[in-house]
Order: sequence, then structure tokens, then C-alpha cells
Amino acid sequence: MFDPQWLPTIMIFLPLLGSLLIFVTPNRWRDEMAGFIAAVTLGLGLMIWYAGGSGLLSLNWIPALGITYSVELSGVSLALAMVTAFMSFIAVLYAARRIPNPGTMLALILAMETGLLGIFAARDLILFYVFFEDALLPSLLMLAIYGKAHRMRALVKFAAYTLFGSLLMLVSIIGVRYLGGSPTFALVDLKQHLVTGPAQTWLYLGFLTAMAVKLPLWPLHAWLPDFHEQNHDSGIPDVMGTLYKVGGYGLFTFAIPLFPDASLELRPILMGLAAFTALYSAWVAFGQKDWKRLMAYAGLSHMGFVALGVFSLNETAVIGAMYLLAFQNLYTGALFLSVGMVQERIGSLDTRVGGLMTSAGALGGLTMALWFASIAVPGFAGFIGEFSVLLGAYQVSPWLAFVAGITTIAAAAYALTAFQTTFWQARPLGGVVVRDLVHTEWLILGLPLAVAIFFGVYSAPALNLMQPAVRSVLSALGGN
Amino acid sequence: MPQLVAPDVALLPLLPILLVLTGALISTLLGFWVGRRVLTVINIVTVVLSGASMMLVWNRNLTSFAGGLQADNAAILLGLTILVGTLMTLLVSLDTAWRERVSFPEFDAMMMYAVTGCLLIVFSGDLIVMLIGLEIMSLAGYVLATFQGSRRAEESGLKYFLLGAVGSAILIYGIAFVYGATGSLNYAAIAAKVGSVSNLTPDNVGILVGGSLLLLAGFGFKIALVPFHQWTPDVYSGTSTTTFLFLSTVVKVAAFAGMLRVFGGALTDAPGWASVLQVLTAATLIIGNTAALLQTNFKRMMAYSAVAHTGFLAMCLLGTPELGGAALGYYLLVYTLMTGAALAVLAALQRTEAGFEISDMRGLYYRHPAYAIALSVCLASLAGLPPFAGFFGKYLAFQAAFQNGYVWISVLAAVTSVAALIYYLRPAMLMFMPDRTPAREYLHGQRSPTTFTVGLGVAGITVLGILPNVWYSWVANPAIWQFLAGR
Repeated sequence: MFDPQWLPTIMIFLPLLGSLLIFVTPNRWRDEMAGFIAAVTLGLGLMIWYAGGSGLLSLNWIPALGITYSVELSGVSLALAMVTAFMSFIAVLYAARRIPNPGTMLALILAMETGLLGIFAARDLILFYVFFEDALLPSLLMLAIYGKAHRMRALVKFAAYTLFGSLLMLVSIIGVRYLGGSPTFALVDLKQHLVTGPAQTWLYLGFLTAMAVKLPLWPLHAWLPDFHEQNHDSGIPDVMGTLYKVGGYGLFTFAIPLFPDASLELRPILMGLAAFTALYSAWVAFGQKDWKRLMAYAGLSHMGFVALGVFSLNETAVIGAMYLLAFQNLYTGALFLSVGMVQERIGSLDTRVGGLMTSAGALGGLTMALWFASIAVPGFAGFIGEFSVLLGAYQVSPWLAFVAGITTIAAAAYALTAFQTTFWQARPLGGVVVRDLVHTEWLILGLPLAVAIFFGVYSAPALNLMQPAVRSVLSALGGN
Repeated sequence: MPQLVAPDVALLPLLPILLVLTGALISTLLGFWVGRRVLTVINIVTVVLSGASMMLVWNRNLTSFAGGLQADNAAILLGLTILVGTLMTLLVSLDTAWRERVSFPEFDAMMMYAVTGCLLIVFSGDLIVMLIGLEIMSLAGYVLATFQGSRRAEESGLKYFLLGAVGSAILIYGIAFVYGATGSLNYAAIAAKVGSVSNLTPDNVGILVGGSLLLLAGFGFKIALVPFHQWTPDVYSGTSTTTFLFLSTVVKVAAFAGMLRVFGGALTDAPGWASVLQVLTAATLIIGNTAALLQTNFKRMMAYSAVAHTGFLAMCLLGTPELGGAALGYYLLVYTLMTGAALAVLAALQRTEAGFEISDMRGLYYRHPAYAIALSVCLASLAGLPPFAGFFGKYLAFQAAFQNGYVWISVLAAVTSVAALIYYLRPAMLMFMPDRTPAREYLHGQRSPTTFTVGLGVAGITVLGILPNVWYSWVANPAIWQFLAGR
């Protein structure tokens, strides 16, 4: 069989190639082309899974600077990459259906997929940085081309927050290698040459800023609601934006192994911030009257859980955080698309339109099931994630776990209230007749839901994939 | 009976400069009989030949005039960068000079004289040769800035001349001080003297510090270092866009090359200047980026962006000669390519010499897709976004400053880069926003020489961004830069 070492590289760059090919494909075949590329990418991910991880591929990229091209997909990164490939495929499906003349949007989705897969595969800090920023450009272009009236403000806010964090991270990256004396930026080398003492804390803070923006973590979250609100009504850029919340993963893969002492030292503060983020954003979500903003805050609340799990440095909690990070993409993304479908039918994103369930039963039913997944009802993948996070965090800090635990109640409150005022209640007089799900829309909402249920009932495959990776990362902490 | 010694004149190391000078002389003389476009083509040929002759002297460390002129590898690498900028300017001028009303032979002649001066700075082995080169470059530059014959251009030229002359005067004063302190004008000899400061009596150290600070101020005028940058936005935005392209790439590269020779070579070990330079760099980063953020005119924004980039480039000078020199060598080429291509698009699409307002750029992608994509690639690269080469330039500059102990400068540069990102991104994203109002740019601007220039720039920054080694492996050899410092 083909050497699995090279599979991640093909998987990363295939979508980029596809996004370029789309422009030379005749208009009528563009949908099929993009769908085919996205499906093959997902297939490559499954092949890597089947091969049991890809193994590390390391090439000298810029020898004079010690920058390597090191990629590997295994464990947590493989799980996230597969979810990314899956949701990109779903996004392509919906873009082909929803957007007239979708060539540009399809190209941007695929270009962004390259950046995202690269983020998960990179095992070199500079390479990680490069992919981290590469995903930014397509995301900005989606907002610029397809966004709403006030998109420039949202765009500048989003870009400024991201770059503020990532440039500080760049300084940290330079510092990590120079002060630690590592020959290259490859993670394996950096782990052998850790920076010690107070310098480690400072470098961690630089790294943390970038990851906190991308988690997002309060108080660096302000870009998120505007970003989602101003993006295209269909919710496709929001799916990609949700996948781009890689802060938890970055902290897990790079920050814990490279800054073990600083992670322990700052643990109480960061866990506090994470628990506060979860609760605060659930509270804010309760007051939202726009579905996109509500979804933004709901996603932020999930990210608070992810952060709580990662910062707690407890094995159960970290596994739970990674599980939640991977699978919330499914239902958060699908919910954005369901909001897009509602908007397509009634022309509004308001949460108080009322009565959709009477004529669009399947749309309402699937949306409700996805909301149940989102608020972590047992039987869905989100439950395993949130429960493990709380279980692990409780062992570290019972009170913070309690605060975060309240969030699950708040989540039920905001989600079900908004669902009720949109889908139940009386249809206002003269409201348009709402068409139910047709054609691929069934797949677009059904497939993510099916996967979320599958991994909620039978979590062993995903847990077996993640557990060894989490153990090896946490072993850097030394017997914790 | 004193023996008459023949001066040491080797022509081979002079060849690149002489070729460019030939182009200048041909433009001056033939200008009476042939049209400017023919001259431009001739000049393009001489520039390419000059580049080829640089390959000929690569790795041979030839000198001429007893060390007054040095064709070492540093000179060749920076000289090639200058020629790339010149080539881009010449190509763009083929299309736009007639619209800018500067299409006469003197324009080409002046530009080639300026390039001669630039190369002289790059190849200089002592302070006098550097000064002569700088004066040739500056005088030709003042004329170029005024050439257009509009009130704005006249204002721009006069401002450039008055402030440039002050800068030159300060520089000459600095040279005198350094000579007084060390007794030599030759870089290597100065470096040898300064390297063992014990040779200098305490009085002389004071003079040396004074001299190096005066030199710093003089160069500060030429590279637009805050607070000596006041002329830059007015001159760059007032002059014709082709001249703007030339002044902000070629002339700036030459001035940086001079600084590298003086501060990265002769005065590396001299006390005092580095701590002043770090303050000036910090001020440049803050003021350049903040001011660019407030601009509404694209041309003027690019002028301020040139100031801001001076800050990033100057960070390289704060590094050790090995790291800083390599970083500067890489960044200057990338800077030339991205600024050149961006201004080429501006020159092609603007209706008047005032450039266009940033708000006029809305929807450009739907009217000129290729140029809009190229311009946004250049802007993304200027902003330092990977996978474009500007990212590695910035990274190298950060690294050079960080590893020489200027951690706070690199943090400050990171924070100010956020402002840079915003002002580059706003026009870049505006171009992709659909627009229903009539076009406000020149509709017939897409011509093949400009397209070639833009393509060259975009291909350059993309290739150098994905495979930085293509150029970095040439400039990375530490021996090149240690040689400057006489080690």
C-alpha cells in the first residue's frame, strides 16, 4: 500500500488544488467538481484512520532558518481533520444548492479547508503559523464577497483580533526556539529544548493570546458575534468559521508540551476565565433575538467548556475537551445551515417568527434534534464531551466545575426558548407558506446529526483514537 | 625621486555600474534623435546586462581604487535588488509615462543616473565613494520628483530637495567626524579602529559617537526614519506614480545598503548608535503605521506604508551583522517586488496623478479581476500574511531584532503590524465587495508591460513565500555579512 506518511500532505493540498481547478472548470460542472474534491479529501482522512495514523513526515523547508515541513495526522489531530473534511463536504453540498453561481464560494471553502487541515497536521511551529494565517484569507474573502451591509467593520475586527494574537504568537515562536536553543522549529526538537523559568511564562502568554482569540475566550471574543452576524445568510461561512476555532487544539498540541510549568502555574486563572466564558456567553445568548448572534454565543459557550477541559490539564477533562471540540463542529455547523435554510424560506433570521413547525415538520424536527445535541443531551456526542470535561475539571477545581455546570441549564434555556418562538407558537396571519426539506437538504442536516448520534452512543472508536495522544501530551507535565 | 604609482583601477568590478552609466549617457545623447520608448528599451537591455555582469563577479570579492570600490557578494545581492526595482520602473514607465506627462528622454536619463548613484553606494568601499553615489542618486531624484511640471510635483520636488540637502549636509558632517575620530574613510580601516576601541582616546570616542549619530540622522532622511520622514508622504504622493515607485523601492534599497555598509560594517562595534536607532525604529513603527491608518487616499496610504516599512526594515539593522544582513537582503528584494507591483497597478488604473481614493476601489475585482487579485496579493504580502513572501520578511526582521536582545522592539512591531494589517486589508477587501456605481478608475490601464511587471512581482512574492530558500539561501551565508564588518 501507499506510504501513509505522504497522505496528510495530499489531503492538505488537494482542496487547494481543487479550488484553483474550479476556476477552469465549466460553470455547470463546478458543483460536482467541488463535491468530488471534498469527498476525496474526506476519503483520504478515512484512509489515514484505517492505516492507524500517518506517522511523521519531516522535510527541511528552509534549512538556514531551521524551519521544517513536518506534518502528521494521528490521534486528536486526525479526528479534527476528519471532522473538518466532513463539514467542508457538507458546506460544499449546501453551497452548491443555495448559492447562485457558486464557483467563488466553493473555491473559498476548499481553500480554507487546506488551511484548516494544515493547522491540524502541522508539527512545526512556523508551519503551524503559516497555515493558521492561510485559513484567514479565504475566511475574510467570504465575508467581503458575501457579507452583509456592515461587513467591513466585522471584517476589520475579526482580522485585527486574529492578527493581534498571532503576531504575538510569532514573537513567542521566535523566542521559544532561540531561548531554548533548539536547532529547528519542529515540535519534536522543541520538546527536547524547553525554555525554563519566568521566560516560559512570558512566551506562554504570547502563545496564549493567539489561542485565546481563536478559542475564543473572554475577553478576546468580541469579534465572534459580529463575524457570524455579518456573514452570508446561508450559514456556510459560519460552518467554516466554526471549524476555524482551533484555539483549544493549538493549546493542547503546542502549549501544554512546550510550556508545562507555565500551564500549571496559570491553571487556576485560566480555568476561571474559561468557566466564566461558558456561563457569561450562555447568559448573553439568552438575550439574543438574531439566530446568528445566538448561535455565535452558543458556540462561544461550548468553547468555554473546551477551554475549561484543556486548561485543567486533567486527562479525563482534556479528552472530553478534544471530543467536544471535534464533535461540536458537526452540530454547531449543521445548526448554522439549518438557520440558513430557515432564512431562505422566510427571509428573516429573527428568533420570533413563530409557527414554522406547522408546515416544515422535518426541518423543525431535525433542527430540534441538533439543538438537543448542542445542549448535550445524553445519547449525542456533545454529552460525552461536556460530561468528561466536568468530571475532570471537578477533580481539579470543584467550584469552577460547578459554575460551568450551571451553563448546561442555561444552554437548555436559551436554545429551547428560541426554538419555541421560531418553530412553535402560532404562525402569524399572512405568513408565507414554509417549504419543508427537499433533496440534499435532508443529507445536509441528517448526516451531521447521524454522526453526532453515532459517536454519542458508541464513542469507543473516537476515544481510542484520542486517548493515547492525550496521554502522551500530558506526560510532559511529569506525573500529573 | 618619488616613484609615480599608477592608481589601482580594475574595470571588471566597475562593469555593472559602467553599464548602467552607459544607458544614462545614451539616453542623454540619443535623446535628441530617438523617441523615449526606444531609449527605455535600450535602458532595459543595459540593466539586464548589468545584472548579468554582476553574476560574473559573484564570489570573487574584487576591489578597485585601492578598496574604494568593492564588488563583494553583499554588493551584488543588494545591487541585483536595485536592478529588479529599476527594471520594474522602466517597464511601468513604458505604459504610464505619457499619461503622467513625463514621457521625454530626460526622464530616462535622470533615472539611469540615479541608478548609477545607487549602485555606487552599494559597491562603495569607503565613505567618500558612498557620499558621491548618494549625491548622484539624490540630485537625480530631486529632478525626477519635479519632472511632471504640475504644482504638486514642483512642491514635492522642492520639498525633497530642501530636506534632502539638509540630510546630505548632516551626513557629510558625520563623515568628517568619523574621519576625525578614526583617521580613515575606508570601511575596513574604520572597522579595524573601532573594533579595538582602546585605540581611541576618550575624546575620540565622543567624536566617534557624534559622527555616527550624525550619519544616522543623515541616512534617516534618506530612508524616511521618524522624525526625519516629514517629506516622505508629500513627495511620494505629490510626484508621478512611476517616480513614486522608483523612489520608494530603488532609492530606499540603496539608502539601506549604504546604512548596512556603514552601520553593519564600518561602525558595527561603535558605541551609541544602536540605542538611538532602536528608539527611532520604535517611533517609525508607531507613527508610520498609525498615520497610514488614517489615510483615505490610496497613493498617500502607500506613501505612509513606505514609512512604516522603513521601521520594519530598520529592525534588521538592529540585529547582528550575520542575521540582520541576511534578513535585510531578503526583505529588501521582497519589499521591492511587492511595492513595485502594487504601485504598478496603481499607476495603470489611476485616472489622475492624485491616485484614487480607497473608497473608489470598491468592486475593482469585478472590473479588473487580474489586477485586483494581484493588488490584493501584494497588499496581503505587505501586511505580512503567509503564504506570501512579506511574511518571511517580517519574520526575519522580528527574529533579527529579538535574537540581538531587542525583544521589546519585536513585541512593539507585532502590535503595530495589526494596524498595518488593517490599512492594507481595507482596500484589499473593498475590491472584492460588489458595487453598482460607475467605475472610477482608468479603464484602459491594462497593458502588457505593466501586466508583465505585476506578474513578475506577484510570481516573485508567491514563489519566495512558499520557497523562501530560492533567495534566502543566497543571502543567508553569514560570511557575506561578517565580511562587511571586517571579521
